[in-house]
Amino acid sequence: MTAEVRAPARPVVVPVLRRGLLDGWRGQIGWSIGIVAIVGLYLPLFPAMRSPELTGLLDSLPRELVRTIGYEDIATGAGYTQATFFGLIGFVLITIAGIVWGAAAIGGAEESGRLELTLAHAVGRVQYALESAVAVLVKLLLLGVVAWIAVAILNGPAELDVSTSNLAAVVLAWVGVGLFSATAALAAGAVAGRRSWGVGIGAGVAVAGYVLQAVANNADDLDGLRIFSPFEWAFGQAPLANGVDGPGLALLWGGSALLTAVATAALARRDVTG
Amino acid sequence: MGDAGSTGEPVAVRVRGLHKKYGAHTALHALDLTVPPGSIFGLIGPNGAGKTTTLRVLLDIIRPTSGEVSVLGADPRAGGAALRRRIGYIPGELRLASRVGVGAMLRHLAEISGPVAPGAIESLAERLGLDLTRPVRTLSKGNKQKVGVVQAFMHHPALLVLDEPTSGLDPLVQREVLAMLREARDDGQTVLLSSHVLSEIQQTADDVAVLAEGRVVAEGSVATLRIASVRRLQATLAGGAGEALRTELDGVPGVADLDITALGELTRVSATVRGDIDPVIRALCTGMIRELTVEEPDLEESVLGLYGAASGATRRRRS
Repeated sequence: MTAEVRAPARPVVVPVLRRGLLDGWRGQIGWSIGIVAIVGLYLPLFPAMRSPELTGLLDSLPRELVRTIGYEDIATGAGYTQATFFGLIGFVLITIAGIVWGAAAIGGAEESGRLELTLAHAVGRVQYALESAVAVLVKLLLLGVVAWIAVAILNGPAELDVSTSNLAAVVLAWVGVGLFSATAALAAGAVAGRRSWGVGIGAGVAVAGYVLQAVANNADDLDGLRIFSPFEWAFGQAPLANGVDGPGLALLWGGSALLTAVATAALARRDVTG
Repeated sequence: MGDAGSTGEPVAVRVRGLHKKYGAHTALHALDLTVPPGSIFGLIGPNGAGKTTTLRVLLDIIRPTSGEVSVLGADPRAGGAALRRRIGYIPGELRLASRVGVGAMLRHLAEISGPVAPGAIESLAERLGLDLTRPVRTLSKGNKQKVGVVQAFMHHPALLVLDEPTSGLDPLVQREVLAMLREARDDGQTVLLSSHVLSEIQQTADDVAVLAEGRVVAEGSVATLRIASVRRLQATLAGGAGEALRTELDGVPGVADLDITALGELTRVSATVRGDIDPVIRALCTGMIRELTVEEPDLEESVLGLYGAASGATRRRRS
């Protein structure tokens, strides 16, 4: 460590982004292990699950329950992977990771006093907010790469039979839905200057998105609610089975860009108080 | 380096009519401040006087409600990152909660505000006795403050804005930091520091502004403020004193806490005197002065007096 400091410290490009990535390596590894563990736990069970007994069991369950947990297509590899990982525990993992990172980047940094110290150095508010957002994006994309590799490795052995391009499509949707909550947390943290606001708003967005699509699945007259659900934007068109859903991705990624702009504008305009 | 001087800026910091409101609460009322380049300027005042708010405005951490602010010739907001590269800042409430090492954190800040000369961080850390390998959040308050000092000084900024820089440091390190301030000034850097430890302002500052309730209530060189300040006087007189003396002293402006006691032949007088001492001495000369002590005024006592004057909206300024 001393040797690292000893080198002359020159201004570097994107210092906030760089530090955000370097300082977060422990968390990055932890979340990656979690993703690999869940994928490794569920996907190998698919061949055993694809049985008449399971189909019979699902048929015996109330349709509403099956639709709510997204198990209608569980007999296909794509449906199973979506239902057990991307649409369920994987969704929870990337959402929590994104919210934790998004809420910490501005709101958490301000609350801990670090933001005042950093902003007193030669970095602008806009630059800080944008680099923080990009750091969160890069970290979520890295989780996407981990998930993509993990599922791709198990694709053959677990007889999932999902195409590589469809896998890329669902990973983009999955990272997108995590990013949407993350940027909501970033924006709320930037507006309020408090980490807890970021966590609350980010989690609220994720939960509301999930609940809206679950309700819409079960009530035809509430079907219109779907369009307000980031979860629906991500997975409504079953990208793992059907490939890239352009409008859905546009809503997720465009919405994330908008929330990042809100975070940037909020931080640029107000007093940093800690 | 002497940036402030060499770029020909007539003042390092100029603040005119600075107002800052937080909702209904007004933190700063029409604050004026001028810090000449190459000097050490002290801001003193009680908690809540507006010292931290003023310093944060200079760094564009908070934005003024109204007023003009110029730091090294630039508006803090318009000057942006390029301006802050030329400033070193220690926050008033330095909190470091990260699990990264001291060295890594300083390096990160150096990457933002650099270039930092090779070895600058190490020599500052060594001078202050700071271990660069420890995680910052495990440091004691004093050691965290040392991190604050190093990050403010490491890029040799033209202007140092230091909010209570010696807070939490042990006396030896405090002395070292004060020495660093004087060295910085001798090197052409400008130092603006706040403190409520008046002795450190007395030891280091060339000029002082006293803040109370968001206003500058007095400003001048440390020496000037002492002349205008409160002295404690004790005298023992022989003969011809008593009620006549009391009446006379009561008529002298600035005399307070007057106490006159007769001890047989002698009369004992004690009082505090604000401002001009001459009429007091002349009044005492009605008797024979056996003993006289006039205590060198303490800046603290003068400043406490000024806090009181502030609420009466009295503003005394160096002409």
